[in-house]
Amino acid sequence: MNLYRQSIALFGIVLPVLVVAVLFTLCFTLKSKMLASLENKQTLFKSCETSRLKALEIETKIVLQRPHITHWTELLTEESSSAVNTHLRAIAETLPSKEFQKTAFERTSGKGGFGSAVAQPSSQLRIVFRGTFRTMQRAFLELESRMPQLQLQELRIDPNPNQQNPSPLLNFQVNYTAWEN
Amino acid sequence: MRSALSRWADRFPSRKWLSRRSCLPPLSLCQTTVVTFRHPASLNALERYQQARWMLHHSTRAANPAWYQAALDLDLQLHIRVDGPCVTSLFFERRKEQWTNGPSITEIDLRDAAKMEACVADILKQARALKASSIGVILHLADEFATAELKPALDNPAALPDLREAAVQKPATILDDSSVPPELNSWRVLPYPAQGSGVIGTSITLTRKYAPFLTTLRQTGETNNFPIITHALSAPLVAVMGLAQCAPFSPGKSAVAILQYPWFSALAFFNDHADLLLIRTFQHRHLRQAPNLRNALTTTYASLELIDPDLFILSLGMELDTGLLSELSSAFPLCRVAIVAPQTPDSVPAWCPEPVIAAIQPPKGEAARSLTFSILRDEKWALQDFLPTPKEVGEIYPTRAEMQLMRGLRLARRGLCVLGVLVLAWFALGIADIVRSDAWTFNPAQASIIQSRLSNLTTERQKSEHWDNLLEDRSKAWTSMELLSRLFPEHCGVLIKGFAHTVRAESAPGQAKIGFVKEWKITGFARDEAVDRLNTLNTQEGITSQFGELARVTGNPAFNPAVRTRSLAVNVRTQENNTFKPLPVEETFDTDESSYPFNFDLTITQRFEGTDPLAVNVSKAH
Repeated sequence: MNLYRQSIALFGIVLPVLVVAVLFTLCFTLKSKMLASLENKQTLFKSCETSRLKALEIETKIVLQRPHITHWTELLTEESSSAVNTHLRAIAETLPSKEFQKTAFERTSGKGGFGSAVAQPSSQLRIVFRGTFRTMQRAFLELESRMPQLQLQELRIDPNPNQQNPSPLLNFQVNYTAWEN
Repeated sequence: MRSALSRWADRFPSRKWLSRRSCLPPLSLCQTTVVTFRHPASLNALERYQQARWMLHHSTRAANPAWYQAALDLDLQLHIRVDGPCVTSLFFERRKEQWTNGPSITEIDLRDAAKMEACVADILKQARALKASSIGVILHLADEFATAELKPALDNPAALPDLREAAVQKPATILDDSSVPPELNSWRVLPYPAQGSGVIGTSITLTRKYAPFLTTLRQTGETNNFPIITHALSAPLVAVMGLAQCAPFSPGKSAVAILQYPWFSALAFFNDHADLLLIRTFQHRHLRQAPNLRNALTTTYASLELIDPDLFILSLGMELDTGLLSELSSAFPLCRVAIVAPQTPDSVPAWCPEPVIAAIQPPKGEAARSLTFSILRDEKWALQDFLPTPKEVGEIYPTRAEMQLMRGLRLARRGLCVLGVLVLAWFALGIADIVRSDAWTFNPAQASIIQSRLSNLTTERQKSEHWDNLLEDRSKAWTSMELLSRLFPEHCGVLIKGFAHTVRAESAPGQAKIGFVKEWKITGFARDEAVDRLNTLNTQEGITSQFGELARVTGNPAFNPAVRTRSLAVNVRTQENNTFKPLPVEETFDTDESSYPFNFDLTITQRFEGTDPLAVNVSKAH
């Protein structure tokens, strides 16, 4: 008797339970894997989203700065001493010649001033002028506006030493550090 | 393996089931509309399960407990009594305890295969008409009764249960005479509980001539999905059991019950405790009574040492010889001779008491009159089924416990399915949720593109910031000149003799930015009216005010004194001019140094820390 019991137990509950258990295991495994994958993707996605927003933010700023950068890059591609001379010539044309005279120009490639403390390449320019105070100030304003890479290291203004023959012309000695690319 | 299965198939019979449902049977059962069940031993595990499921779904075995009950326990019973000359059938509705006439059945209906089916169909029809869900058919065999001696070696009262089992399964092992073929006869053990009987019991033998009828009944029930449970009883044994209720046993007096049937007479000998000593049968051999009954009685009770036992005559047939009472009374004048008539309901003939005795349980006290009557009913020695369902056929069907197990497991599987569906739904929703998310559709290749773009932009920004830093207006000549002109405007009583402005970087190893120091040194001459100005400049507020004003006017942030990361210091030293020559004002001119009573020395120092917005980047642009 009870010849069916084992078959009934086997096919009636054991196998269905096993099938469901396998199904559950598969589902759980698959979902776990998908969740793990999703977690990775989410991390990547969030990171990417952050990067994208950051890039957008940077780009917004960069877009505004880009013309300046381009301009600076153009300025920096030119050799400093020749650029200074070129600009000085142009400036001199707009100023009274008696009130603005370049008397000396010297370029040293060695580092000095700001250049001695930083890694950025630079050169030292020493220029001597004779001129009136205001004209020279206008000339410096023009030169330093045109060439923002010039960082003043030293400025000396001395009056004409001959007291018997006073002159409105002053002696200007200026040292610049010119940043180079 | 194949031969083993073939042997099983040959050995075990198969059962046919007429499919009346549209559901498909298991694959092994699909050959025809008549479903053939096979013995489970000849099936593999899967086929066995399919067969059991088929029965669960297509039969009422799971729902109707009658399939697994005894015929005498069912609510509707059909009692068929066969005594040779006539066949009596009676319906018994157990709940109502009501007896009614059954269908008209003849001996031919029971024996002739051609008429058997119609008879069985009629029985089924009447059972359905009575709105029964099952029927028990009890066949009372009163047309034959024979005894066979047990092997003397088995004369052990404790072995009776084993002997009872062996009589059904292996009768040849317990019979003294093993020449009777078991396929034609059926044996059941009957114990003799009385002490001093000499043997523990005897075996009752009946032929299997009505077995096909009962088989047809069972098969019809299976075919029609209607439980028809059969039971074949030996009518004399039932009648002996019924003596407890009807025979007037006298305490301390032995007795002999003479059961008169049309074709034979059975003699049951009881001791003075009303316990059975011996049972004997005498064939009438076409006479109205047993020819040698008196002699047999005399010799038997003499051999059993019974002294003038009471003689109870039970007339168990229609139109039997009624002269036995007077005959025995004259032959045994010292014995009390009495006719015993068991009480029967009106619809049951008085000579047909066996159905009533078998179907109705008497009150406890009457059955317990002696050990014999007690065990005949309680242990069902008198109610043994002589023509039961063959074991191999019975094993084809799942047991009640197995059917209940299948029903329970079906519920469990449904629960499992619901659970499975819920889990799958949860899984599907989870997957849909995952797949719907932006992150899931994100292509990792985009990450590297955006990262690369960000890297380029960052580099560009760093470059921009680097150059923005380097090109800051931290040190310009024109602003220093503006400082000088604002410190000492024209005609303020000051003559400047020298102006020196230097810028010195403060190197700090390891720092990303470095600070610097700006220093202005102004020397000159001052008149009295300029001293106050010099004194004002020599204060923190004075010089800070000047720088703040200059920063506002020129827009140059380097002069902004409000930034916390920079400091401003001033020092004015004033001395008398040794070359001073006091002259009237109208005789002096601005460039004459001797017209100034004081000379002065002004030093302004502005320090920018490494954290100042104008601090210089140390690194090189990339």
